[in-house]
Amino acid sequence: MKAFVEGAEVSLETAAAAAARVLEQARQPVIAGLATDSAGARAAILLAERLHGAYDHMASDILLRDIDVLRQAGRLLTTPNDVRLRADCLLLIGPKLLNIWPGLADRLALAASPRLSEAKARKIFWLGPGRGEAAEIGAAEITATPAALPLALAGLRAAVLERRIRINGALAQKLTELAETLRAAHFGAILWSAESIDRLAIEMVQGLATDLNQKTRFTTLPLDSGKNVSGVVQTSGWMTGFPVRTGFGRGYPEHDTWRFNATRMIESDEADAALWISAYGDEAPQWKRQVPMIALARPQTRFPYAPRVRFEVGAPGQDHDAVEYARDIATFTLARASAPSDAPRVADILALIEQNLTKGYEAC
Amino acid sequence: MNPLVFTLKVTPPQRLDLSGLLPHLLNGKSSKDIAALEIGTTREKVTVGDLFRIRSGSADEIRFETGSERFDGIGQGLQGGRITVAGDVGINAGRRMTGGELIISGHAGPYAGSGMAGGRLEILGDAGDFLGGPREGEVNGMSGGLLLVRGTAGQRAGDRLRRGTILIEGDAGDWVGSRLIAGTLVVLGHVGANPGYLMRRGTIMLAKPPTLTPTFIDCGHFSSAFAAVFGRFLLAESRGAARLLRAPLRRFAGDMAVLGKGEIFVPA
Repeated sequence: MKAFVEGAEVSLETAAAAAARVLEQARQPVIAGLATDSAGARAAILLAERLHGAYDHMASDILLRDIDVLRQAGRLLTTPNDVRLRADCLLLIGPKLLNIWPGLADRLALAASPRLSEAKARKIFWLGPGRGEAAEIGAAEITATPAALPLALAGLRAAVLERRIRINGALAQKLTELAETLRAAHFGAILWSAESIDRLAIEMVQGLATDLNQKTRFTTLPLDSGKNVSGVVQTSGWMTGFPVRTGFGRGYPEHDTWRFNATRMIESDEADAALWISAYGDEAPQWKRQVPMIALARPQTRFPYAPRVRFEVGAPGQDHDAVEYARDIATFTLARASAPSDAPRVADILALIEQNLTKGYEAC
Repeated sequence: MNPLVFTLKVTPPQRLDLSGLLPHLLNGKSSKDIAALEIGTTREKVTVGDLFRIRSGSADEIRFETGSERFDGIGQGLQGGRITVAGDVGINAGRRMTGGELIISGHAGPYAGSGMAGGRLEILGDAGDFLGGPREGEVNGMSGGLLLVRGTAGQRAGDRLRRGTILIEGDAGDWVGSRLIAGTLVVLGHVGANPGYLMRRGTIMLAKPPTLTPTFIDCGHFSSAFAAVFGRFLLAESRGAARLLRAPLRRFAGDMAVLGKGEIFVPA
């Protein structure tokens, strides 16, 4: 349990008071990183509201891809359990899915036949996997480079609709065969991760699932990146009505994915103090401008420049019990500490900082 | 009548929300009233009078003598009259405007003309990403009016365009005309990857031959009286566009992955 001000070790209380001064003296503070459990996210958003500051997540660029498709085009969605028990046909899209979710094959019981299906075996296809990835789970591979994935997806959707397109040769043949198999499925599922495909490609995947539902049943399962990313988004949702990249500058929550991009705010000299939260790993901020920084991070984190105030925090689910989003069951669970320690929780430190604030900002 | 003129006194210390400075909102207000309007977006309060010198005049024409990348929402919700900016602007310029004219002599940030439904928006410099497109949680992009960009446009220009005309005289980025529903998008410069991705209906005209995705199919030469008529309409705005529309055209239909009723024209 350590806290530092300007590199010198001090008590938690002294560090919290110093952090409060930095946040109060700024023109506009921003809370970034936000990799924490749900209690930490809740405390961070409350602090942002009290400060009339903004908050953003380190994975916003990725997580907002799925959210933007959801809120602009809609999406069909299911849980891992549903896929495990019912899906007789699986279509995986894009590279690195097994790195993003190492337990994927096990959790979805890919090797077994679906228990609640008339189909005897599971058919698995992988469009655009990385090298050797398809063989690892026994999927039939349809090669596509990341840049060609949006086009292959468009080609596949056109093939499902039996439209003429300008693809010839082996790929056209494969897409036509795949389209026929997908249409013949009892209950199919399309799996992807926003880490490896673009927003418009995700919208194409959703359209593909919608089109397939005219003849059979099909759904989708976006692979969660873990580390409570979805949990933070949901916490933000129930507290403000918006996902991350929300600001309280005028006293009420405003959501703007461009304006409240923390790195952009700092680089453009709009935000002049930052509070960085990274409790799961050793991620450090990406911005180059050296604004005064308060860091709530793991001890091994290497920063691009020295934080003004630094707190060493415990990892949720490791050092302390934590409520987080569990991707295995697609809801919140209590993760028991695997190696309990006295390293403080993000929520406790944020509460301590808030107690040290002297100013109140009027609400509008 | 003299226009109402705003001159910036200092560099804005924060992003400004200028969506309140519209002719129909300022008509009948005294300079003192206008100076007291809040335009700040952070916990530090900022009023018009703090940052601008105001020269009073008729609010039917509003002139900003200087621009800034931090001027957000300029002309947002414009219903009539005229706003000119001698410089750059930030995001949401002319967003959801329904009438009148907005002229920006510098560059505009992302989401210029976002969801505009009428009027004329002209950007003499470059425009950022999502020109005319919908914002978070919105389903439709621009639904009417004329949007002109003399410079270049960023990615996904004309996203979810529903009606109206967008004309880009310079280059446009990747995914131009993404998810188009209807309306017309003309680009005189080069375009990036995958134009017209996910478009349902509508028309895209590209003066420089693009690499089209395989879900656009060749329909051959196309001659239409309408193209010439439309070209004549655009002549007053852009000679280049009029020239493109007068010349023989070749038509591609797509995006076959969606509805396939859209079209991309290129010179034959």
